[in-house]
Amino acid sequence: MGFEGRRVVAREGVFLLLLPEGERELLMQLLGELRTFLKLGPEDPRLRRLYPSAYSDDEEKDEEYRRLTHEELSSGRLAALDTVERTIAADELTPDQLTAWMHAVNALRLVLGTMLDVNEDDPFAVDPEDPNAREYMLYGYLGLLLEEIVQAQMD
Amino acid sequence: MPTAVPTEVEVPGGETGTVQDRPWIVIVWNDPINLMSYVVLVFQKLFGYNRAKATELMLDVHHKGRAVVSNGTREKAEMDVFRLHEHGLWATMQQD
Repeated sequence: MGFEGRRVVAREGVFLLLLPEGERELLMQLLGELRTFLKLGPEDPRLRRLYPSAYSDDEEKDEEYRRLTHEELSSGRLAALDTVERTIAADELTPDQLTAWMHAVNALRLVLGTMLDVNEDDPFAVDPEDPNAREYMLYGYLGLLLEEIVQAQMD
Repeated sequence: MPTAVPTEVEVPGGETGTVQDRPWIVIVWNDPINLMSYVVLVFQKLFGYNRAKATELMLDVHHKGRAVVSNGTREKAEMDVFRLHEHGLWATMQQD
């Protein structure tokens, strides 16, 4: 049973993490940037997707919801970042640790996707001359990694 | 009878079902960022749906732009919305 180049593989209740060193370094750097972003607070437009509205037709209830949930949404994401940073060099992850990776990678995609205002087109169909070409490539890469994290849990 | 317990007040006019009684529905909206497989996994995990049901809901979100994923009291709906938000999904709630 080959891994076929996969980076996350379910194995007897844990998950093997077969990430090349360079990808781990890249993730550490991106997650550090995300941590800085999270400190900006829910009003920053780039973080819009991390703190969605709950009541689309009732501003008063929505404000109350935001007030009550902001702290928990924020601290949950920071806890996920802590876990990923603590396990960045690991060869295998527990299910809870992999869930933290999933939350962290998805949060990165949400912020990056919001900044790039992405649509559902192929994320790799990027004009290399585009000033955001690097960000598009990162966004595409994070999508592949997230896909593997999801598939490993569905196997 | 303990007096601290508030009693239901009968609404004059005999209307069945006040505004408070109507159930709340939780809606997940299509967005260009979340992966389809990720959305399926989140539906399975949060609501205990099997793969087929979770996939059906995800495809509804994808093709119709939205799907109702759960319903119940306001408190339950708000908890469901919150858990969807924790997972980065675009979810709102409204009274049916």
